[in-house]
Amino acid sequence: MSTRRSRSRQSASRISDDQINDLVSKLQQLLPEIRTHRSDKVSASKVLQETCNYIRSLHRDIDSLSDRLAELLENADPIQASIIRSLLMQ
Amino acid sequence: MSPPQQPSSTNPNSLKIRLTHRFLHNLNNLNKKRSNLDNTQIHRRSHRVKLAAYASMARVVGSRRAWSRAILWKIRNRKVFTRNKRVDHKTTHHHHLARSIKRRTTNHSNHKREYVDPNGNSGQEVKLRKLVPGVETMDACGLLDETADYIKCLATQVEVMRNLVDLYSTI
Repeated sequence: MSTRRSRSRQSASRISDDQINDLVSKLQQLLPEIRTHRSDKVSASKVLQETCNYIRSLHRDIDSLSDRLAELLENADPIQASIIRSLLMQ
Repeated sequence: MSPPQQPSSTNPNSLKIRLTHRFLHNLNNLNKKRSNLDNTQIHRRSHRVKLAAYASMARVVGSRRAWSRAILWKIRNRKVFTRNKRVDHKTTHHHHLARSIKRRTTNHSNHKREYVDPNGNSGQEVKLRKLVPGVETMDACGLLDETADYIKCLATQVEVMRNLVDLYSTI
């Protein structure tokens, strides 16, 4: 009975290992830098590290783009802005 | 082998279009509320644009994802929070408010300084859980899945904002 239990536990962990590897490789394909070396197997910890860095850089991008957008919206001519808006929201 | 037709919710073109619409809608609301705010402070406007960006992302994805649910929850709670408290005119107040709410909601279960995962994972996975909203108590599979979706939406939102900046700056 214990062997059966340990076997089932082993198979359960094996399945989730595969799942995790799949998800890690899927994540790897989303990352901009590692995409070029897609054929090479990159370690999971490297993928996680690159993911954290990528998320942080995206957050920073949003911050800086918000600054610029706020500036531009401030100075934009309201008529031109509404023209742009109506064009984009067709 | 051609990839199967993705459902419109994950099709990047459709996501970008929907994000653009929602973001413009939120920005429009921002502009409408102008008269109520002291809008000469660029930090405040920039902060509101940033909130509009995250709100757009979360609204478009809806409650399908843990990260979007977490963002929507945070937004709803901060609205209640700011309504009950007197509005301070200092811009720094809003920054601290948003950051302290974020800290309070993400670390409410974390009292220790060093957090070691029950599986023994530390370091990268813990850092990831802090970066993606709504995944603190998720298992590893769910965490990776949410992260992938979050990255996709973040990247699309950044693209939408870049396009808008280009558009507005060429006028």
